[in-house]
Amino acid sequence: MTRNSWRHAVLGSMLSLALVQSVQADNIQDFGPQTFGELKSQFGGKPFIVSLWSVDCAPCRVELDMLGKLKQADPSLPLVVISTDSIEKREEAADILQGYALDGVPTWMFADTFVERLRFSIDPMWYGELPRSYFFAPDHSFTAHSGILTAEKLAELFPY
Amino acid sequence: MPMSLTTFKRLCLALLAFLPALSGPVYAQSCEALRAAQGQDQISVHCGGAPSAVFDANGHLWVAFVHEEHVYVSRSDDEGATYSTPVRVNAEPEDAEFNGENRPKIVVSEDGTVMLSWTTKTSNQFTGEIRFSRSVDGGLSFESPRTINDDGLRTGHRFDSLFLTPSGKVYLTWIDKRDMEATLARNEAYPGAAIYYTVSTDMGATFMPNMRVSHNSCECCRIAVAPHGHDNVAILWRQIYDDHIRDHAIAVLSPDGVVSDLSRATVDDWYIDACPHHGPSMVSGAQEGQYHMSWFSAGNLHSGIHYARYDLASDSPADLIKVDGTPGAGHPSLALHKGTLYLVWKGFDGMATPLQMMQSRDDGRSWSAPQTLMTTDQGSDHPLLITSPQGVFLSWSSEEHGYVFKELSND
Repeated sequence: MTRNSWRHAVLGSMLSLALVQSVQADNIQDFGPQTFGELKSQFGGKPFIVSLWSVDCAPCRVELDMLGKLKQADPSLPLVVISTDSIEKREEAADILQGYALDGVPTWMFADTFVERLRFSIDPMWYGELPRSYFFAPDHSFTAHSGILTAEKLAELFPY
Repeated sequence: MPMSLTTFKRLCLALLAFLPALSGPVYAQSCEALRAAQGQDQISVHCGGAPSAVFDANGHLWVAFVHEEHVYVSRSDDEGATYSTPVRVNAEPEDAEFNGENRPKIVVSEDGTVMLSWTTKTSNQFTGEIRFSRSVDGGLSFESPRTINDDGLRTGHRFDSLFLTPSGKVYLTWIDKRDMEATLARNEAYPGAAIYYTVSTDMGATFMPNMRVSHNSCECCRIAVAPHGHDNVAILWRQIYDDHIRDHAIAVLSPDGVVSDLSRATVDDWYIDACPHHGPSMVSGAQEGQYHMSWFSAGNLHSGIHYARYDLASDSPADLIKVDGTPGAGHPSLALHKGTLYLVWKGFDGMATPLQMMQSRDDGRSWSAPQTLMTTDQGSDHPLLITSPQGVFLSWSSEEHGYVFKELSND
């Protein structure tokens, strides 16, 4: 294979990958090293909640269940859901989120194998334990919570 | 057209990948370089998911890894410089788990029986089965995998550990949710999961019925195993105390199902209803009943990676120190060789992952300053330490460096 044909093959596979991604039925987006900064900009001056989970985390399901119900009761809840799984597992994640009626919520999945850097971009003080949640005030000062989040705890940490 | 830096880097990588093919030994190289040089369908230790390694009695190195729903085994007769063509273990594809905490395990008996265990995921509801296979023809072919958990339940059986004692007893331990299912069915609460084990006294031909070690373990951390005498093992795992605290427990298991010396090994006061995905490491000390432990906690009392020496006779940890308290630090691995303790772990400085090592020549009473062995700014696996009579070796897989197997001891 010549170098050119090799390049075409690579470009071709990238193109078909892009096509595959464009027909994904879910709301899941790539979470890269810059994503969290962009997210914060989008919520400029506004409070928001971040819930981190993974498909392999059993306690996370308890939290997702609670968040799904809360979001249904209050569709304006500024909730961001991020899965720390590789975006290659998107079908599995989409299935799970749908089960908790969270498929309409803005959702990201880790899209960089250097996960340590992605975790650091969210919070340098986070050890990686899940579930993990963050409560950002309008000035974007934040409180972090590790372990299953209850509706009571959420109300206490997010009085907005 | 000016060449972009990326293109240049790729070219260099491709050239580098060709070099070893010309000169003989294939030293550690990234999977990307290997595939650029030898084709995208490479099945290799450098491309495999979550490899683990062991030396056999003749000094041959055996490495197990996962590639596209198959477990593979590859052998090296030159301490990791070159590897044999990987041999497929499971003929039928199955969702074999491969990540830092949950990877295929491999042991080789003195008579050359190659034994493997792994966890196969059976749904996205945390269910899995403990699988076992072996080769009795020196790794040329493998028996059909068997499911070792004997409850017939579609529930969680995961995070297996495989260990071969000096006397040839094969121990398999894992995290099991059968008791949780039964308790929830009675509408009672059951924090966490349970630890189960089984033993084979005929090199994996048959296994004893499953035996419970403890209720209420954490659900998602690897179990550390070390020998206790000739026939028994000691295990260290993350256990739930007072329903919400996830510290560590230690116990001694015998081949006939007797669990003894069960006690709390760490008191970190990590109050958390979450999955830390952060299991401990443990090796036997110089004296019977003495164990070197390294673990992670974000507890009220201890936060970060820690080391301590645990004595079963006195039920207490000694010389406890904080190894690394920076938030990115984790996944320690311990080894003991000729009186020197080796402790390796992963750090993170905001930009890159340094692999750190420190040593102790006095049973963990004092330690050398940490030194950085390698660094990567790409994705990487947990580091593992592998010992043989010849020395201590680092086993570490990363995108940047491929599968690195190199000696750390220099005595």
